[in-house]
Amino acid sequence: MMKKDAAGSRVLKYVTAGAAAGVLLFSSLVPRMIPQTWAPQPADRVKAPAKAGPGVLPVQAAGRSGDEPVVLRVANWEEYIDLGDWDEEETIELPSGDIIGENSMIEDFEIWYEETYGKKVRVEYSTFGTNEDLYNMLTLGDVYDLVCPSEYLIMKLMAEGETVPLSEQFFDTSDEYNYYSRGVSPFIRNMFETKEINGEPWARYAAGYMWGVTGLVYNPEMVTKEQASSWKILADPAFRRRVTIKDSVRESYFAAVAAIKSDMLTSEEFRSDPDYAQKLEEEMNDTSPEMIAQVEQWLKGVKDNVFSFETDAGKADMITGKVAVNYQWSGDGVYTMDQADEDDFTLAFAVPEESTDIYFDGWVMLKKGIGGDPDRQHAAEAFINFLSRPDNAIRNMYYIGYTSVLSGGDDPRLFEYAQYNYEAEDDEEETEDYDIGYFFEEPEEAGSGEYVICAPADQVDRQLSAAYPPEDVIDRSSIMVYFNDQQNADINRMWVNVRCYDIRRAPVWGWLLLGAVLIAAVWYLLKRKRIIRT
Amino acid sequence: MAFSRKSLGIPYAVFLVVFVAAPLLFLFYYAFTDGQGQFTMQNLLHFFTDPNTLGTLYYSFSIAIVTTVVCLLLAYPVAYILATSRLRQRSVILMLFVMPMWINFSLRITALKEILNVLEGNLAMYPFLNAVIGMTYDFLPFMILPLYTTISRLDGALREAAMDLGANDVQTFLRVTLPLSVPGIISGVSMVFLPAMTNYVVLDMLYNSTYIMGSLIGSYFAAYNWHGGSMISLILLAMICLFTLLSGSVEEEGSARGALL
Repeated sequence: MMKKDAAGSRVLKYVTAGAAAGVLLFSSLVPRMIPQTWAPQPADRVKAPAKAGPGVLPVQAAGRSGDEPVVLRVANWEEYIDLGDWDEEETIELPSGDIIGENSMIEDFEIWYEETYGKKVRVEYSTFGTNEDLYNMLTLGDVYDLVCPSEYLIMKLMAEGETVPLSEQFFDTSDEYNYYSRGVSPFIRNMFETKEINGEPWARYAAGYMWGVTGLVYNPEMVTKEQASSWKILADPAFRRRVTIKDSVRESYFAAVAAIKSDMLTSEEFRSDPDYAQKLEEEMNDTSPEMIAQVEQWLKGVKDNVFSFETDAGKADMITGKVAVNYQWSGDGVYTMDQADEDDFTLAFAVPEESTDIYFDGWVMLKKGIGGDPDRQHAAEAFINFLSRPDNAIRNMYYIGYTSVLSGGDDPRLFEYAQYNYEAEDDEEETEDYDIGYFFEEPEEAGSGEYVICAPADQVDRQLSAAYPPEDVIDRSSIMVYFNDQQNADINRMWVNVRCYDIRRAPVWGWLLLGAVLIAAVWYLLKRKRIIRT
Repeated sequence: MAFSRKSLGIPYAVFLVVFVAAPLLFLFYYAFTDGQGQFTMQNLLHFFTDPNTLGTLYYSFSIAIVTTVVCLLLAYPVAYILATSRLRQRSVILMLFVMPMWINFSLRITALKEILNVLEGNLAMYPFLNAVIGMTYDFLPFMILPLYTTISRLDGALREAAMDLGANDVQTFLRVTLPLSVPGIISGVSMVFLPAMTNYVVLDMLYNSTYIMGSLIGSYFAAYNWHGGSMISLILLAMICLFTLLSGSVEEEGSARGALL
């Protein structure tokens, strides 16, 4: 016993010595950590930046000399930009010229910026995995000048007053380098100009990057198009353990609302309402307590019916034939179908009749990063424009598989690229005309017939319909807005309820097992004690 | 300050304070406060009144108990045979059993997934079974090793004495070998049971979408509810402490402390 005590006190001394060192180290870290991580209080976070306003922020440009490069801190999704290094045979041969990615887009931008504006720029490029990750990174004090979140986070950042408006110069279509304003699709431009946050249109703060809709990738050998045309399939016992859904609250919520309100959403009466678009958006963003309760019930049923709640495995499970239906974003849908094609396995894409979540990722500049520095803002806007140059947009589309928000304006290459991908060969027997004019032409030219792709008939249910959804899909699409803290808390709680095991459902044998183990443990301990005493 | 042996302990003490003690303090702070930083017992109360947290606790316990029992039933005979055999190369054979531990576990589970896929047809049909198989696959070596160590250190003379006094093989095993190997069983159980309650990656990879303790804590933090998440972590920690104390008290009585890895 003596020996043990001595050892004990020695350990104690080490710990005391170490504690002193630890406290020193810690105290140097704490002032940095505490204000940002201590007890997150959303209400404060929202108000603080609004109070400061752009005028108060320090102007960092003051001390920069001529040669020093502007540093542009960009945060984008993982694998969401062309990294170059293509093989020769990957060259995209369009009537207006070949396109190939040699260097990464970032390098190309740095070179282009210096050649065009005579100033050096250095891009510090970071990536994030989810919108929530990005938001956490920003809350914890990471500083970026230009970020590319999805629509709902853009709305949130705008509402919180974190974003810097795009300059007037950016919208000047007479400037040949303003590729974004000159080339953005009229459809996207219209959406950005009509949707508002706090009375200001999105277009004032955000420039689109990629867009799409949500839908279902399905295996036509096991599922009919009819069946894949309703979100209800996710809860259909006929496909027990053969469907996957996203492991994401927002996506699951959307599908659940659409499935629950299916009859109403697909009724002729609702469809022909003069305020259909407006009403659809309200219905799809319904977060009333009754709705949340119904969604919870529905998703609990789905949980017992689906193969998995997946974050990334869904694509592979679809390609290997493990599942028959996969809830997917259209961009990933294109990728899944492309991969399956390589294995001579045919998959198709359908957008349910009830509604679809139209999404896009877009660029916004952040006050904390730009800080009123005109050089930095110029570089940020130039970065958006460079990515919007038709050849670069095509490189990114090829690399990522998603659809760019650009139509190219006067430049024909984006439409040529769609034709390059989807136009039928001359010897194709069954073809169908597929009009994507809504995306490529100004509303006043609608129906010109100029933007019709003569595609193989099956493409209408496959990649083409995922890359450029038909107009009727667009008509029934709805934006999923950002929810306030209360709504988020309610929906997150609902999600935990769905994912947890409900103790009221525990079977008798489970309780018996648990009881038996507990009794055995107690009995054993008591028996031990008795032996020791005697 | 003259160099002393004591200073050798400083790096570890610093590590301990920065990565264990300090985070624990944060955990305590969050567990007993609400969003406004006020002291509250609400989080604790919530844990024991919410059917979800209780359900998750129940589900985790079930998986962990079944896994532990299966591991024990599989591991004991193997450890017994290995420890009592006269094979010269028994350490090599033991190595073969332990080797899977050196391979990254997510790789092993990915491989297991393909095997199960062939055996079961549709993996998602048996979420509970998959979880148990995955955990067993993952933790079996942790059960074999302490059992083997304990049994191989048993004094053979005790067994011989029992036989001399007229006990048959079964009686010898039940009344001598088994009771004497209890310390090994306990350290094996604690090395399997506790991780099996929280290792949610196994469930995720094998398509079980029900939360267990690990994923439940994760979901609280993902939804910015740091206070609730901290409380669950703390309760889990308390359970681990209790379990370790109880098993420790049993082990102290048995002399075979070497059974711990």
